[in-house]
Amino acid sequence: MTEIALSPLATLSRRRFRLTVRTPRELVVPLLTPIMFALVIAPALKTALHTQASYESFVAIGTIGLLIPLNTMFAGLGVIVDRESGAQRELLAAPVPRALIVLGNLLVALAVTGLQVGVLMAVAGARGIHFHAVPTGVLWFLAAAFLFTVGMYGAAEILANRVPKQEEYIARVPAIAILPWFLAGALFPITALPDVLRWVAKFLPLTHGLALMRYGLLDDSSGLRHIWGLADPAGMAALSIGVLALFALLLSVASVRVFTRAALR
Amino acid sequence: MIEVEKLRKTYPGGVEAVKEIDFEVAAGEVFGLLGPNGAGKSTTIGMLTTTVRPTSGTARLAGYDVGERPLAARRVSSVVFQDPVVDRSLTGRNNLDLHARLWGVDPVAAKERIEELVEAVGLRDLVERPVATYSGGERRRLEIVRSLVSCPRVLFLDEPTVGLDPFIRAELLDVIEELRSRSELTVLVTTHYLDEAERLCDRVAIMHSGKIVALDTPERLRAGLGRELVELRVDGDASVALASLRARGIASETAFSVGSTLTVPLNGHTSSEAVAAIHELGLAGAVSARQPTLDDVYLRLTGGRLAEAA
Repeated sequence: MTEIALSPLATLSRRRFRLTVRTPRELVVPLLTPIMFALVIAPALKTALHTQASYESFVAIGTIGLLIPLNTMFAGLGVIVDRESGAQRELLAAPVPRALIVLGNLLVALAVTGLQVGVLMAVAGARGIHFHAVPTGVLWFLAAAFLFTVGMYGAAEILANRVPKQEEYIARVPAIAILPWFLAGALFPITALPDVLRWVAKFLPLTHGLALMRYGLLDDSSGLRHIWGLADPAGMAALSIGVLALFALLLSVASVRVFTRAALR
Repeated sequence: MIEVEKLRKTYPGGVEAVKEIDFEVAAGEVFGLLGPNGAGKSTTIGMLTTTVRPTSGTARLAGYDVGERPLAARRVSSVVFQDPVVDRSLTGRNNLDLHARLWGVDPVAAKERIEELVEAVGLRDLVERPVATYSGGERRRLEIVRSLVSCPRVLFLDEPTVGLDPFIRAELLDVIEELRSRSELTVLVTTHYLDEAERLCDRVAIMHSGKIVALDTPERLRAGLGRELVELRVDGDASVALASLRARGIASETAFSVGSTLTVPLNGHTSSEAVAAIHELGLAGAVSARQPTLDDVYLRLTGGRLAEAA
């Protein structure tokens, strides 16, 4: 049974991957802004604000919080292209469970995001930005990035199946991919926000993701403490992973339902 | 091979696209759904291919209920859609491979089948090129090849030649006929081109406003209007002219009028008798005698011409 499901999943992922590599913008454009932030704006802010060297590391992780939403939203464009080009109908007529069509897209979004996060980290490292990476920390980082990517791709898939045109989709991207980034502690701790916005930030999955990634790669649990106010970093990390897992699960299930309903007339 | 019982589709908003239709298609038969745009043909195909959810009724492909066993139903069938359905940036072979893999065709068998089919339809020199570089006719041929790669038991052709120029259309009909003669496929084809239906189909169902208004072989449907008919345009009220012809015993119940045109099956009369009666009644106008066509059948049943409605 697993073999039966894996074979079409691999086929659908291969198709999406082939289409993605033929569209370089999907690979390059999401990288531009985060790399600009990590390499140019963060050092400039550090100089202007006379902060410590660790601020560059802080912002380097913060830019991953921009990279993942941008990349997953770009991946969602492929769903609209499939629908507009008609190619989606061939997939819908295929003898495969329709959830696999969404899952195949998700796997490629995960792979491309992983590649881009890797490039960002490598460029940051080459620029002299320091990370405190230990195996368990890397695992926290990877788990947070993975779950946040899954959840964000779910959001992209839902949006792509809800709006009829690419233009309308793109118009909504800033609200979903960029606005939360300003509130989630990407550039400064959420304690710097007004009280109301601080509470809003605590409910954003991105806030949990960034706090976890910094806990994992910078050994900095202050972000988790600002959310939970507890003393045990590992306990708080587990709570935030739980939040991200719930986010990923809910958005994934919803995306499959929305896709199936939108595809079937 | 295809069994449809009381199949109905009402879209949100209350549009009744298909109204409890029934038909069966035998194994190896080519069955046509004939009708203008909006008659319900594509919705019917959508329900049979499980891309449109029926409101009620049942449909089975090779014994598999499309509602209860959609994967099995999709596995035994393939579709050539009305609009182009290809990944344009991929090559023709990529598109064919994708279909073969999704339908679970053994890779070795798929390779052989693809080679055989692209040769048969003259795509050998194009198959490694991105589909974006294909002409409309080439792309259509590719889609037909793709639909056959998985050796389906049921093939759906949804308006396979719509939008193509006459030359490519004729070429494509040759391809479909040739492929049909080489296999035991059951084919359900929708079209609003009468020549296409006559040439390809063993039986046709004429759809109008979501209903099947006639179902038989093209020959028997035409035979309902006799062997010959006359068509005339009148200046005045066509229904009055029709009543006059009926009173003279020239026109029977099968005669009909649409607008200013009368169509009168001869039913035993000769065309010269009919023309003489027409002139005697002062119904002068352009008169022509010819054999009945499916368009006449459709016109009589629905009051509209296929070519105009499409």
